Amino acid sequence: MSGANPGLGYDATPPFSAPLRFFLTAPLFGIAAGLLLIVDGGLLASRWTPGTLALVHLLAVGFLLQIMLGALIQILPVVAGITLTAPLRTARLTHIGLNLGAIGLTAGFQFGRPSLLLGGATFLGLGVTGFLCSAALAAIRAPKTRMASHTPRDLRLALGGLTVALLLGLSLVLELGLGRGAPLPLAVAVNLHATWALLDWAGLLLAATSWVVVPMFQITPAYPARLTRYWAPTVTVLLAAWSVALVANVTTLAATMSVCLIGAATGFAVITLRQQARSRRSTPDASFRAFRLAMLALAAGAALLAFPHPSDADHWPVLAGILILHGGFGGATSAMLYKIVPFLAWLHLTQAGIKAPNVKKLLPDVRARTQLRVHAAALATLLAAGLAPPLGPVAGIMLIVEFVFLQLNLVHVVRKWRAHLPRAGLSVTPA
Amino acid sequence: MGVLTRIKVVPASMRKIDSIAEGAPMSTLSTLMTDDHRACDHLFARVETHVAAGDWSAARTAMRNFADALELHFRAEETQLFPRFEAVTGFSAGPTAVMRAEHAEMRTFLDAMSAAIDAGEADDFGGEAETLMIMIQQHNMKEENILYPMCDDRLALERDALAAALDTTLHARATHGVAA
Repeated sequence: MSGANPGLGYDATPPFSAPLRFFLTAPLFGIAAGLLLIVDGGLLASRWTPGTLALVHLLAVGFLLQIMLGALIQILPVVAGITLTAPLRTARLTHIGLNLGAIGLTAGFQFGRPSLLLGGATFLGLGVTGFLCSAALAAIRAPKTRMASHTPRDLRLALGGLTVALLLGLSLVLELGLGRGAPLPLAVAVNLHATWALLDWAGLLLAATSWVVVPMFQITPAYPARLTRYWAPTVTVLLAAWSVALVANVTTLAATMSVCLIGAATGFAVITLRQQARSRRSTPDASFRAFRLAMLALAAGAALLAFPHPSDADHWPVLAGILILHGGFGGATSAMLYKIVPFLAWLHLTQAGIKAPNVKKLLPDVRARTQLRVHAAALATLLAAGLAPPLGPVAGIMLIVEFVFLQLNLVHVVRKWRAHLPRAGLSVTPA
Repeated sequence: MGVLTRIKVVPASMRKIDSIAEGAPMSTLSTLMTDDHRACDHLFARVETHVAAGDWSAARTAMRNFADALELHFRAEETQLFPRFEAVTGFSAGPTAVMRAEHAEMRTFLDAMSAAIDAGEADDFGGEAETLMIMIQQHNMKEENILYPMCDDRLALERDALAAALDTTLHARATHGVAA
């Protein structure tokens, strides 16, 4: 990568297979989550059952983290001028570590096997650390240019959030597996890990992406300047203050910070909905609608967390988890996949000098629309199962249908892409 | 400039709406060129709206306006901004060469979209338009996040004069053009 051409050129575009491997394996974890719900039907009764922890990590690590890291490998050069020096090698190692890690971690939770938990956490830790080191190295080497957008800064903050979430997660596994984690009550450590992962990693990443994606692709007015300037740093500071208050057992401060964080998360979702309502595009496609549903789910999930819940077995945390993980982040990532994958197929064919079919020929609207409707139905069924746990297996079936459909749609694009490659091109397609 | 001033599109007032609404100063190359990206996006949205409504005649006019605006933006970059950047940095085969290549790619979509409108093929138009939309926005992201800030930094000494010249070019249609 020449310093004269930071992140701009075709040479800064990672090979298609670098992000694609993440996108193609992610739905398999959604299918596994559905199977788990069928086998262990009542696991939505509480957030603390081993099965629930396995389910959460299938979705959070196997599906969401997987897609987020794959997408970052693709977009870092374009939105932040950060070009990984060896994107394919980084993708391969991260992908292997993340997948083995997600399998080990969820199997460890489900079967109560500390060795699997420790092994899974080791692979996941290595995979994510490899990615973080590669991104940090590239960020240091990136030319220092003053950028108009706050997205690059917020992406860096999100990667910081991922680092904290990873360290807290590793500490938890050490505690569960060997009794040697951080000296914190288990519930406190779990809440810290989950909040840093969902808010300072996934939340900041979603916001940083939204600052550019929503106004540009959905043709809306820009987000309020003060929101994009202060939202991510404020959330990070509030989260740090909340964490200290929680660890130091200063309950009033922790509760105040918690309300502020819920307000920040809900505010982001509500403002995004307002922005989208002002879109100039008169024909909102399935992806646009799914993104709006995701914002609604995020706002509802965050708001639910504000409800006082007298016991851990209460429904509220489970419902909030479903809304945030599946409805919010799951919906937003699916919506983005439908934009990213067909375009990348088109881009790589075009860059190879091949006349490529347009994105809607690579993935017809009707396929995406139907799958995203199934996603909405799966969300409704999951929420019903959150209130009535015996419905868990039905929600499991819906999850399987949703993610099998997503997988088939992605494979459809890949098959179209491969069909347009010249025969000789197939042999040089990066593995 | 001779060719550019003959292109008829929309009043400058429309193309400046966003910057006024956001209260952004028109002092940097980044702001000026970014605002023009958004103005082109609005013209694109207008074409989509007419096609969705099945109003092919209005769609044809809107398409011409959008294509003209985009072409004017490309030419302002290719004939004014990029040559100055290349002269000052010596990067003639660097980022600007890539941006020129992407302009060429996007121009082919304009033809395909116009052909779909002429044929009254809404589905074909939708596919070509969506592909161009993503192509434009990933191109714009690179310009807005990387190239324009580099231009502001490297062309600091002549920034105001260059911004004024670009502004004149981008809004040439205001004095010679008609509203969509």
